[in-house]
Amino acid sequence: MKRVSHFAALALLFAAAAAHAQTGKALYDKVCAGCHATGIIGAPKPGDAEAWKPRLAKGMDAVLRNAVNGTPRGMPPKGGRADLSEAQIRSAIDFMIAGVAGAPAAARVDSAKAAPTPAAKVDTRPAPTPVARAEPKPAAPADAAGATAAAAAPSATGVAAVPRSTVGSESDAADVNAFNRLLKPGGGFNRPAMESGIHDPTNDATPTLQPPARAFAALPKSPAGNHVDWVKALESKRIDPRWDRNDAKAQAVVMDLNIVREVKGSMPDVVYPHKQHTEWLDCSNCHPALFVPQKGANQISMAAILLGQKCGVCHGRVAFPVSECRLCHSKKKDAATVAAGK
Amino acid sequence: MKLATRARVLALGVLLMVMIVFDSRPARAEYGDVVINNYSEAAGMRPVVFPHWFHRVRFRCKVCHADLGFQFKAGGNQINMVKIIDGQFCGACHNGDLAWSVENCNLCHSAKPGTPTHVHESTVNKLAAPAPAPKR
Repeated sequence: MKRVSHFAALALLFAAAAAHAQTGKALYDKVCAGCHATGIIGAPKPGDAEAWKPRLAKGMDAVLRNAVNGTPRGMPPKGGRADLSEAQIRSAIDFMIAGVAGAPAAARVDSAKAAPTPAAKVDTRPAPTPVARAEPKPAAPADAAGATAAAAAPSATGVAAVPRSTVGSESDAADVNAFNRLLKPGGGFNRPAMESGIHDPTNDATPTLQPPARAFAALPKSPAGNHVDWVKALESKRIDPRWDRNDAKAQAVVMDLNIVREVKGSMPDVVYPHKQHTEWLDCSNCHPALFVPQKGANQISMAAILLGQKCGVCHGRVAFPVSECRLCHSKKKDAATVAAGK
Repeated sequence: MKLATRARVLALGVLLMVMIVFDSRPARAEYGDVVINNYSEAAGMRPVVFPHWFHRVRFRCKVCHADLGFQFKAGGNQINMVKIIDGQFCGACHNGDLAWSVENCNLCHSAKPGTPTHVHESTVNKLAAPAPAPKR
């Protein structure tokens, strides 16, 4: 019996190590290869002993710290992917230094050691219990492998039974979300220019462009658009964009006046705040060309907005997109009005 | 037991590879990135990518769209290098004084060849025209 359990534990260790290696390769391909494959701006190539040796000489921890925090020489923090865990970064490093002499044989041994300890080291995301894993969430392929490693951990210690359905449900969930054309898979936004799809990766300056995720790291989040709440970012002074290009001290001319537009049907009425708009814009940007400054003089419809007119000149192009209905339709009608169908 | 686990890992590995190979999601550029290809390609340069997000961290909309006269329309400003060097449009800041100067061609001219003028991820783009697929 004891022998059997040893055998099982060994098998799981192997599985965890294999999954770790898989994660590393997948992550490298998706995130790191942009620079590390070509060795651009001095990024050490995978397996390049000459380049890796001096780095590894300082110890694996130093290499990991540099990868996580970024370096002034050009390594973006976590390769520009703030959503990655340290363990995931580590797996990518392990993939790149595999076979380099002087690399800690750590690559495999460490991950195998790490696996049976409570999952914290393998994956920093919460609770790798079968229950949590069954929760359908958009999982990047790399995450899926990480999840397996995490899922393997508790079973190795005998805390939980092998979650048979885990692997299945994880990949099923990924499939389902792959078909959902509205819900973007995790990590699909704020990508660096090398992966943007519109920048030319063969252009020498493309890798030097700032990755959006790096600029946005300290800004309040939103669910759509740039995934940054620009209005809050400005209010909270996280950003301090100039009002005048030459005069850093010029202040915005803010007008605090809400315009309520009653709308048909049961949709909440629209409250248009001049305040937030005049923080960014000049009166002449909207008046009189887009909006006649007179109550009731402007016909606005969602159709026009979707086609890029009226509010749609900015909303749906650069300001928050029209998917965020309730940011504009924010004033609830009273029940009587709704019932009367007015 | 061991075999089953290995098979499972193998299956997952294969799945990963398939997902990587068939990862044909559309362009993932930043919301509001503007590609301008009025004259660039005809003149033998890559089209321009203007990152709205980068600029709005530094300047309010009004600076460009009121003070400098940028129209609210991708490609609607007929910008060329002569105007920029003359201090109009981009050249109002990109003059080596407020921001880096025009000799850094490829920082702007960085789009994939064949990308048409458009605002990336704009509603109009999604509804009215198919997503622009750059020619390879």
